Amino acid sequence: MIPGPRDVVADDLDAPFWDACLRSEFLVHRCGRCSRDYWPASSCTEHGGDAMRWVPASGRGEVHTWTVFRRTYDPELGLPVPYIVAVIQLDEGPFFHTNLVDCAPEDVAVGLPVEAVFTELRPGVVIPRFRPRHLPAGERTPS
Amino acid sequence: MPAAISGAFGVVGLGVTEQGRGLGVAPRELQRRAVEAALADAGLTRDDVDGYIGTSAQMFDDIRYLGLRPRFAWTMQAGGATAILAVLNAVGAILTGQARTVACVYGAAPSSAARSGAGGVRGYGAFRYGYPSMYGLIGAAATHALHARRHMHRYGTTSEHLGAVAVAQRAHAALRPGTLGHGRPITLAEHQASPPVVDPFRLLDCCRDTDGGVALLVTTADRARDLPGAFVPVLGLGTGHNIRNWWSGEAFDLHDDIASAKETAFGQAGIGVADVDVAALYDPFTISPIMQLEAYGFCAPGEGGPMHAAGETGLGGRIPTNTGGGQLSGYYATGFTAVVEGLLQMRGAGGATQVAGAEVALVSGHGGNGGVQNTWSQATMVLGAAR
Repeated sequence: MIPGPRDVVADDLDAPFWDACLRSEFLVHRCGRCSRDYWPASSCTEHGGDAMRWVPASGRGEVHTWTVFRRTYDPELGLPVPYIVAVIQLDEGPFFHTNLVDCAPEDVAVGLPVEAVFTELRPGVVIPRFRPRHLPAGERTPS
Repeated sequence: MPAAISGAFGVVGLGVTEQGRGLGVAPRELQRRAVEAALADAGLTRDDVDGYIGTSAQMFDDIRYLGLRPRFAWTMQAGGATAILAVLNAVGAILTGQARTVACVYGAAPSSAARSGAGGVRGYGAFRYGYPSMYGLIGAAATHALHARRHMHRYGTTSEHLGAVAVAQRAHAALRPGTLGHGRPITLAEHQASPPVVDPFRLLDCCRDTDGGVALLVTTADRARDLPGAFVPVLGLGTGHNIRNWWSGEAFDLHDDIASAKETAFGQAGIGVADVDVAALYDPFTISPIMQLEAYGFCAPGEGGPMHAAGETGLGGRIPTNTGGGQLSGYYATGFTAVVEGLLQMRGAGGATQVAGAEVALVSGHGGNGGVQNTWSQATMVLGAAR
């Protein structure tokens, strides 16, 4: 069984993010003083934790780096190999580890534009994964 | 450790047990054997050990079984940086008057976990990384794969470059008795034919768990003068942390915060990179020596792969690296593999892969789970020739 967020992190400090996933919303943790965005819940390196709040984000970004699992490390996870784990650099700046879906391993590349899709693992447990984003005419693929 | 006392502390006893797969020996027994070997090496007795630093993942070492009676005993854990950080803490304890001789002790049996009574710990429990584990990010190979991929993207590093690391280190292990790779050199073709594990790593890009014990006895140069054994001075110690690169968005581009650690350690030692005769780098995967040689400044960014392919990390090359086979082909005593090799080279005890006339060794370690990847803590140590 694929664990949910509350199975792998013991506290609820990121709960607003995961609760928003139930509504297909992607949030980031923003410092109200300098507007720098973070993920997961963090303290601003300049202004501490006082002004941090969860705000809606684009749910978009690009592949920063990635790997393809060719072997099953834990059969209980129920993830058929091969599967892609990617680090997305969100348009707002933070990194987000995720699976890349709707994408063959040979098509992954650094810089690939992606967007969040929300997967219901089971009732009440929704996690974002990312898929290649087809750019509108005129918008250029990052190099 | 200000520069003025560089060389005032060092390792006077080195104990290394058999290292290998599935030894079937319990961790605390491995620790006991390592401690006794280190005491014999140094010409010291149990009474002389007045400080104890344990480094095993189980966190609570059984000092009773070891028969020691130190004034303090603690365990510490920062993954592959732990071994060097143990030496750093030993120096600090001596400096503050807590002890004169500190034992830094490792013993683990992960590859014997399936055997009853061996007491090893198996599984990937420690190698899950918070939320990323929901996406199947499990195991240290995958986290290193993430910066390997960045390196390939930015500099054109290839699987063949990674293979050159595996081949080079195996060539060293092939000449070193007691290692996994002893007598078993490999070719680049064999590397390329080994099965994919996590892209871009193949099986021969990855080290394997082994069982074994290591003990170091850290004391002062003054004290060492009265002892019969070799004393290897610690010339510099430095620390860095990848959280600095995380905040700057460079955590996947830089592998570790070597810049901070190098600045401190090399500054204390009063050396530059050209003064280093031999490098013993923490190398769980083949990308690690490539990125570390670049970060320490032995070559330009992106040149670490070609440097290995050109044979520059072998004996007679620009910087002989992991002359015992490293963790990839030697044995995996977490950060102690590199520390042991640095000490052996400084004692002139490297056998067929001894770097002739070596006077300065660079030792590195990295590790410590910070939540999403496993290369948070970095530790750098500069060793001088034994005296």
